[in-house]
Amino acid sequence: MSSNQTATATPATRNFWNALRRRALSFFLDWLVWGYVAYGVMYLLNKYWWTVPLERFYSTLTLPSWGWPLAILGTLEMAVWSRNLGRSLGLRAFGYEIWGADGKPPTLSQRVTRALLWHLSVLPLGMGIWLSPERPWHDQGAGTVVQPAPATRLAGRRKAIFSQWGLMSLFLIGFTIWLGWLIIQIDIGILFRRGDEGMRIWREMLHPDFRYFAVPDPAFELRNLPYSILDMAVVTLFMALLATIMGAAVAFPLSFLGARNVMGFNPVGWLVYFAMRGFFNIFRSIDTMLWAVIFAVWVLWGRPLAGVLALTVHTVAALGKLYSEQVEGIDPGPVEAVVATGGSRIEVIKYAVLPQVTPAYWAFTLYRWDINVRMATVIALVGGGGIGDLLFYYKNQGDWPKVGAVVMVIVAIVWAMDYISGRLRERIT
Amino acid sequence: MNRYPDGIVKEPPDWLSRRGLLDALLLRLKGASQRLSIVLLDMLAIGVLWILVSYIISWHAHGVIAYTLVPWWLFGLGVVEAAAIWESFGRSLGHLVARKELRPREGGESTLGQRLVYYIGWHVTVLPMIGLLASPPWHERLAGLSLRPVSMEGHKPAPWWRTSSGIYVAVFLVVGLAAAVSVTMDEESLTRLFTQAGRTVKFWKALFSPDRSIILPSIRDLLVTVFMAVMATAFAVVVAVPLSFLAARNLMRGPIGRSLYTVLRGTMSIMRSIEPIVWAIIFLVWVTARRAPFAGVLALWVHSIADLTKLYAERLESIDPGLVEAITATGASRLSVLRYAVVPQIINPYISFTLYRWDINIRMATVVGVVGGGGIGQRLFFYLKNLAWQQAGTVMILIVILVWAIDYLSSRLRAKLA
Amino acid sequence: MAKPYLVVENLTKVYERGQVVALRDLSFTVEKGEFLVVIGLSGSGKSTLLRCINRLIEPTKGKIWLDGTEITRLSPRQMRRMRRRIGMIFQHFNLIKRATVMTNVLTGRLGYNPTWRTLLGLFPKEDRELALKNLERVGLSDKAYVRADELSGGQQQRVGIARALMQEPELLLADEPVSALDPATSHSVMQYLEQMNKEDGVTVLASLHFLSLARRYGTRIIALKDGALVFDGPPEAIDDAKFKEIYGEEAEQVEIR
Repeated sequence: MSSNQTATATPATRNFWNALRRRALSFFLDWLVWGYVAYGVMYLLNKYWWTVPLERFYSTLTLPSWGWPLAILGTLEMAVWSRNLGRSLGLRAFGYEIWGADGKPPTLSQRVTRALLWHLSVLPLGMGIWLSPERPWHDQGAGTVVQPAPATRLAGRRKAIFSQWGLMSLFLIGFTIWLGWLIIQIDIGILFRRGDEGMRIWREMLHPDFRYFAVPDPAFELRNLPYSILDMAVVTLFMALLATIMGAAVAFPLSFLGARNVMGFNPVGWLVYFAMRGFFNIFRSIDTMLWAVIFAVWVLWGRPLAGVLALTVHTVAALGKLYSEQVEGIDPGPVEAVVATGGSRIEVIKYAVLPQVTPAYWAFTLYRWDINVRMATVIALVGGGGIGDLLFYYKNQGDWPKVGAVVMVIVAIVWAMDYISGRLRERIT
Repeated sequence: MNRYPDGIVKEPPDWLSRRGLLDALLLRLKGASQRLSIVLLDMLAIGVLWILVSYIISWHAHGVIAYTLVPWWLFGLGVVEAAAIWESFGRSLGHLVARKELRPREGGESTLGQRLVYYIGWHVTVLPMIGLLASPPWHERLAGLSLRPVSMEGHKPAPWWRTSSGIYVAVFLVVGLAAAVSVTMDEESLTRLFTQAGRTVKFWKALFSPDRSIILPSIRDLLVTVFMAVMATAFAVVVAVPLSFLAARNLMRGPIGRSLYTVLRGTMSIMRSIEPIVWAIIFLVWVTARRAPFAGVLALWVHSIADLTKLYAERLESIDPGLVEAITATGASRLSVLRYAVVPQIINPYISFTLYRWDINIRMATVVGVVGGGGIGQRLFFYLKNLAWQQAGTVMILIVILVWAIDYLSSRLRAKLA
Repeated sequence: MAKPYLVVENLTKVYERGQVVALRDLSFTVEKGEFLVVIGLSGSGKSTLLRCINRLIEPTKGKIWLDGTEITRLSPRQMRRMRRRIGMIFQHFNLIKRATVMTNVLTGRLGYNPTWRTLLGLFPKEDRELALKNLERVGLSDKAYVRADELSGGQQQRVGIARALMQEPELLLADEPVSALDPATSHSVMQYLEQMNKEDGVTVLASLHFLSLARRYGTRIIALKDGALVFDGPPEAIDDAKFKEIYGEEAEQVEIR
């Protein structure tokens, strides 16, 4: 595989820039952590102290104009001081520590000096780093060095819980839970206050009404034809099947275009590779349900075709990514062999790549079929058709026994699909 | 120690003891169930094919949905007979799946007469099912054939299009696809797909010109969505970790343990089969629409517990037993064995699964918003239904960025853990 | 006459409802301080035998006495107490891969400390000092805080030996301790076992692949074939005919120097 990176850089300098990059990332991690703490503080202030009109639920990210610079500078300062006065989260995450250049642990005065000098060396556009990358000015001035933390020295130290990063982690966890509790407006009490209502729904759902299981429900029509639960279940299964087959068929050739080891031999190839990977990522990030809304507005709302199209698009993206990752992970030996016999690119794919990836491809397709069946059962909510239509129709009527019946049918389908797909995948691998 | 001369006291023969009888019976049952499952698979395969074909015919010819086109008893009879014929005179799907074939006991090829005897005898043994308990079953014994694992020696296997199972699978795929297409596609929507394409150019253009005014509120909603996912995952982990120990087959032994395992696994399976959206609807009615984000978190929480328990328990079932042996051999208590032999092996995979689930929860949180579950999904759905394409596009871009970032982070972290 | 230290009587183990017989009616005795080597082909039941002795595998039939106690009759709690006195080392080392060598060695004291201590990882100072002493004994004191999976095979097996030493055992079971190691390292590991046997008076029961190793280190040999005992005697008594009987007609002697 040809390397398109800085071919002129020797391994030593490349490692050095990597190390610098990691140190910078470690700093940004610390800054981010303090920024998150600041966000939380701002939210709590807004909630309990200042009243911000018109923001009913989300009293976040609202600051007076002088607030933003204060937040940024304040968090920056906190990050600098926390890094120098202990082993912060960022340092621990990337495996660094600040140590004295003489091999002894840094003294308090060294640490403080380093923090103060940091402002002089990094703030003026990072002069202290560009001009002396190996050992920036603040390190030189304070007589310290930032180095990877060796394992032997860590043995016998006091427990991790009491270090700065340990305490910070605990604090962050607790803080997040508290913040989340408030933001989501979790109110456990309501579960009990409306417990009767909840219990009533559960009870009714657990006494399912299978009246229209095989007999079509006259009140519900799809394309002027009455459907029963069984019929809708069949429609749902077909939707998933069709989407999976079409999706896999399209993803299969595209996956080779998205594999680095097949495409990376010329600039055009690289472009195609990046485009394909980008396409897969973007289309995957938009969940199937959102695609369904788009398609439902495009073709008619509530038609199975919308659901099939949405499932297919997402399947193509997801399977494309999985397939191409598989292609990238093959053993290069057989590829060499086929190339050595003078085979063309297509022949390499057919004889060296395909045999290695076929079991994984089948496994992924089965996995995706399972997911598609799950999605197909609920995609009706956003206009995708399928058994979900019945579910929401009955729910809107408040007819919980029938809802229970539909849910049980859904559970049966999904569970059976899960079981079959699991067994088949066991057989393949 | 033994003070009697050798040979005076003999143990009763194995098969006469209660344990021996039980063993023999279980062995017979195993053989019978294997044959029965082959028969059932064949019947299922033929039945499904029949249903698919009649589905297509009834849909296109009569415009109604029908599943068999013939009375049920005829359907049943046809399926049973077809399965019997397939099994007796060829290599059926059931044989393929079980990796067995029918061959004469003395070797060589089977004659038509042997197969005919097998076919007739099949009805006598298989239909009442008792005959299957004999080992070998009566119809096999009469015909001189026996069900053996496939041997590859000598001849090369026939290409798939010449085997009956291969033809079946091909026909099944074709018919299945045809049925799927007839059911899901209809003219109206198909035409709209192509005619509306012109309209959608305007739609795509609007999609990609962001509306700046809604960015800040959308980021707020994004944060709510992220918090939803975090809370749901965190609380799900707290419940799922202890549950997973109860749901691992190798840790749950004994009658109480086994029944607990079965119940737990079954419940988790069922809970997993219900998508979070459905849970969200149920919870929405419960906690009222005012607390929609809470309903969303509850829905994600329940589904996450089920999924995480399954993942965790499966990992527990595949730990290295050697380490467990070693720690047990030092005389440690059960709890110590768990802590020193099991836990170190599972910490990293557990964290990896948690990250994976967090990633999925973020995606699902955007979707749960659609039912009014709060967060960015609700905003997006609102824009989409009101055809506010520009705003919808902006929100979608933000969602893509968020999901992609979390995906990247999660896969990097998981790679470091592996 | 004093009862032998380890007595195995009619030991039988079957699997799969009687289809697979791993051990067939084995009976033998072991004196205190012996170095007993179990030889035989793969699948002849050596591992099963060793695991039956500390009841990691439950025997189907038969009785085992250790130092006068019938261990096949002990309750699980009593068996755990008994296991403290029996050390074991394994073919694939069975160490906690991601933990340090020190933690791995300390797990040897799990049977001696109350559960609340071990759950929190709070081993007493004496245990830690003993660990360092044992690590020094196997020559790994400078690797005390290194992750276990960063060591070579021979070093990992020595950690396993140190772990067993922590139990201060009377009996040591070694399940093919050197099968995964090269010849030179094999000798070094076997010498540690010999040292334990001669200097600490530990009775050793080792299963080995190579007859030459068995001859060199064992004071007595028993041979298994298809789960049955086919030889029980001193190493010198195995001549060519016996060898073929144990290993089969086509076997040839391989020297491991």
